[in-house]
Amino acid sequence: MSGTSMTTRAWLLLLPLLAVMVAVIGWPLADTVGLSFTDAKLVGTAGNFVGIDNYVKTISGSNFQRSLITTAEFAIISVFAEMVLGVLAALLLNQQFYGRTVLRGLMILPWALPTVVNATLWRLIYNPEYGALNAALTQIGLLDAYRSWLGEPGTALASLIVADCWKNFPLVALIALAALQAVPRDITAASLVDGAGPFSRFRFVILPYLAGPLMVALVLRTIEAFKVFDIIWVMTRGGPANSTRTLSILVYQEAFSFQRAGSGASLALIVTLLVAVLAAAYAALVRKTAGSNA
Amino acid sequence: MSALEIENIRKTYGAIETLKGIDISLDSGEFLVLLGSSGCGKSTLLNIIAGLAEASGGDVRIGGRSVLGVHPKDRDIAMVFQSYALYPNLSVRRNIGFGLEMRGVPTAEREKAVLETAKLLQIENLLDRKPGQLSGGQRQRVAIGRALVRKPQVFLFDEPLSNLDAKLRMEMRTELKRLHQMLGTTIVYVTHDQIEAMTLATRIAVMRNGRIEQLGTPEEVYDHPATLYVAGFVGSPPMNVLDGVATGEGLRLDGSDRLIALPVHFKNAVPSGKRVKIGIRPEALRLVEDDDRQPALKVAVEVVELTGPELVVTGRVGGQRVTACLPPRTKLAVGTTQAFAFDDDALHLFDAETELAFGR
Repeated sequence: MSGTSMTTRAWLLLLPLLAVMVAVIGWPLADTVGLSFTDAKLVGTAGNFVGIDNYVKTISGSNFQRSLITTAEFAIISVFAEMVLGVLAALLLNQQFYGRTVLRGLMILPWALPTVVNATLWRLIYNPEYGALNAALTQIGLLDAYRSWLGEPGTALASLIVADCWKNFPLVALIALAALQAVPRDITAASLVDGAGPFSRFRFVILPYLAGPLMVALVLRTIEAFKVFDIIWVMTRGGPANSTRTLSILVYQEAFSFQRAGSGASLALIVTLLVAVLAAAYAALVRKTAGSNA
Repeated sequence: MSALEIENIRKTYGAIETLKGIDISLDSGEFLVLLGSSGCGKSTLLNIIAGLAEASGGDVRIGGRSVLGVHPKDRDIAMVFQSYALYPNLSVRRNIGFGLEMRGVPTAEREKAVLETAKLLQIENLLDRKPGQLSGGQRQRVAIGRALVRKPQVFLFDEPLSNLDAKLRMEMRTELKRLHQMLGTTIVYVTHDQIEAMTLATRIAVMRNGRIEQLGTPEEVYDHPATLYVAGFVGSPPMNVLDGVATGEGLRLDGSDRLIALPVHFKNAVPSGKRVKIGIRPEALRLVEDDDRQPALKVAVEVVELTGPELVVTGRVGGQRVTACLPPRTKLAVGTTQAFAFDDDALHLFDAETELAFGR
């Protein structure tokens, strides 16, 4: 068979899938792009063409800027904490001790929980009247009176970050543990004979093996954290006083609560673009990691 | 003073005993090869000496000091691993100097030592490369350099040449021998390759099932194997082992009515009627005209293989397989029966039950 007819055939075989992708991804995306240039409401009129008005207003608006900062705060702090906790947990679970297998299994649990369940659980823990956190802190004397952790702008975001870390550090731990097990035994043994202490061993021997997988985990978790919606929606709905209103919450409010479909679409596309940049970084990283292993 | 003493070392994993009481004493400058097939416990023993595994009983002394419970870094040893175990993200220079760096040796001194070692191993042009940019042979040199640079009391080698191809393995073997002769270091070297053992060792410990079958110089192990296992393990092709029985008149091979005269030095050692294993090395056999003046095997020739330096002949004596290594230009036809003679000294006798060699 000639090269040309092979190519034709390949395209023919790909066509059904391409059609599905255009239908479920391409068309909604194109529709959203179209919508973002209008002043359409969620219900009622189709809206008028307003050019890049929505984008200009969105980017220059204080809501967007504040949400961007809140999102960045949430993503950077929670992902950093997850990485540190995850690596520490992996180092611990990589030691030989009795009950290790059970503990490894248990560690997955928070991550395996549905986010809504996790969020509800932490709402109970943070409850200002009967929450476990208040009880524990007052009993050990760190707190005089019960506080509304999720009800005060000063503590709401931090409380969310703790809940998100608890749920997501096991994923990092899992990836790190897999990487740790790929460290050749001989190299660890060689470093022992060479006299490397725990810190030198981590830095010179173990970290090089962890770096690649951890970078992948870092970018994946950053993308996830950047898009965060469900845990916040269940716990604070972006409040109090918009102190936990991340970009995804803002998009939701704009498009559905305030029913401004046009400007909501423009906002959604900006978020998509930001996430796409992170995704591109991820792709580049995976290529680099694959290349360095070859 | 002994550089290394191993006293009644035992190791158990649950109910399984992998080392059953090992005793070795090694003088300074000796090259000890622990030889055995996989699972014999040789690597476990090496790891115990290194401090990478704990002994279940017994003692290890390096330079007269018991090192049980002492951290590997404080044992005054260096180790070379089969997989080279180089740090992939560090340059060759830092790999070699890593042990010194971790011990806080000043940079200038370290640099000097690394350069000296690199020159010795002819890898000074590779110092700025990463291990990933080196060939297998170069990596092994770096791994050896990393051990040499620290000038420890004892060097431990764990099958260091097994990952190299045949040609490189021979080169590195010679290189190791040269280094040992030049530096006079004390070495414990684990391998399953009997040629490596024969060529490198000043002493060989042949191990099997957690025990030492024989501890001796290469000549002793080759010329006077203490057990049937050692006889079969050392030498290539392996020693011919024929079943037979000792009678008052001599040795009678199973399936053959021909008698082999019992060499004088065995006369009192082997009781009449005893079942024996008769060992003769392939290279000890030579083709002769058939007469009864000398001990000889009548072999029905089945296969003749020219390897280049020698002609390997395989055949049968009364149903038992025999191999002989002859000079390469020997004329020999498949299907004929030939007489192969051997000297009295070349005959080894083992008790068929205990598999121990009969004394001479």
